[in-house]
Amino acid sequence: MQEPQRHKDTKADRRDQGEFVPSRRSAFVSLCLCGFFVCAILALMPALLHAQSIPRTSEGRPNFTGVWAGPGFTHRVGPGDTDAPRVTTYDTAKMSPFKPGGDAFMNRPATHDPIKDDPTAGCLPNGLTRQILSPYAQQWIQTPTQIVVLYEYMHFFRVIPTDGRPHKKDVEQTWMGDSVAKWEGDTLVIDTIGLKEWMLDATHDSKPDQLRIHSDQIHVTERLRYVDPTTVSYQVTIDDPRIFTAPWSQDFEMKLHPTWKIFEFVCEENNRCIFGKCTEADVQKTSRE
Amino acid sequence: MKIIPFLFGALFLFAGAAFSHHSFSAEYDATKPVTVTGVVKKVEWQNPHIWFYVEVKDESGKVTTWGFSGGPPGMLARRGITKDVLKVGDVIKVEGFRAKDGSNNGSGGNVTFADGRKVFAGSAEDVAPRE
Repeated sequence: MQEPQRHKDTKADRRDQGEFVPSRRSAFVSLCLCGFFVCAILALMPALLHAQSIPRTSEGRPNFTGVWAGPGFTHRVGPGDTDAPRVTTYDTAKMSPFKPGGDAFMNRPATHDPIKDDPTAGCLPNGLTRQILSPYAQQWIQTPTQIVVLYEYMHFFRVIPTDGRPHKKDVEQTWMGDSVAKWEGDTLVIDTIGLKEWMLDATHDSKPDQLRIHSDQIHVTERLRYVDPTTVSYQVTIDDPRIFTAPWSQDFEMKLHPTWKIFEFVCEENNRCIFGKCTEADVQKTSRE
Repeated sequence: MKIIPFLFGALFLFAGAAFSHHSFSAEYDATKPVTVTGVVKKVEWQNPHIWFYVEVKDESGKVTTWGFSGGPPGMLARRGITKDVLKVGDVIKVEGFRAKDGSNNGSGGNVTFADGRKVFAGSAEDVAPRE
């Protein structure tokens, strides 16, 4: 007698018996999901590590407290911790098109009178846009509600509320303007208005016969965000409706220097060639006599 | 010791600007380079620029004391240059640019000592204006 053919267990039978038997399609979907999650974790890993590694306050905000080399330096931190100062100007190629009359307003012929061409030669203030690019150290002190920036150059300072408050009405025009700040995630956004018509760049030596001046309508937005534990992306957006048809931006960097300090800088101390007229030192008088 | 007019490249042209609290062209004339060799008579290690004075004797024996400005003390210190680097009595060669007022003063960005040591000289990357 022929033995009845043994019934071969099919996946359907095993499923009927309550066993979990994946189908080819579900296995493929599972594999895809696993791959997706692995890729997502790998993709997010730098951001996760970055989010954990940058300096943060006890409230969890990025912490900008420290001594910084700003955009006025060539950043190459290494042995000796000595970034190199450089002379910096805003990049013409980044600028928006001029409004009618904007070109003539901003680009003015040098008068060759230092009082007019570079008032800092007589120790007058440099102003915000020039300060941003100047090759001197700056110290940031951050509290939960404000940031204080101490600039070595000209001993200037800024006290910037970070609670998102708006500018006060009827802001007076000053050299450093009125700054308020807010947080957009990990980005600090500083908004400044109320600046006097003044020098745009840190120097005009690349074109000694031409000055660049911004208007008193200028609106400066600085956006600062850590890109690694010692480097901050520093974007400056300039909106000057007296000169340009639209806002424009330029990207710089700041570098944290734990070993630096800000030095005393007293412009009036021994400014011997004030406004281009040099005074004789005692040893020179002796020589002349 | 001689006063030698000398043409520099762009490397030195903007040395003053790199360290200055103002534009180089506000006070100095880039078309009037000057090189002097002489004895350091005095050093003023003060803001906003250090100044040092060099006694120079020409072929006829006439003595002129030139004044040269360098960087701010803090900026020099950050580059490892302290006031001990220049001493009264040192014999130095200074390469700079004359003050616009025609006086015996200038921007002295580069100093060479008798033994060949150079100070204040920066790389082109440090000093070239960028736009």
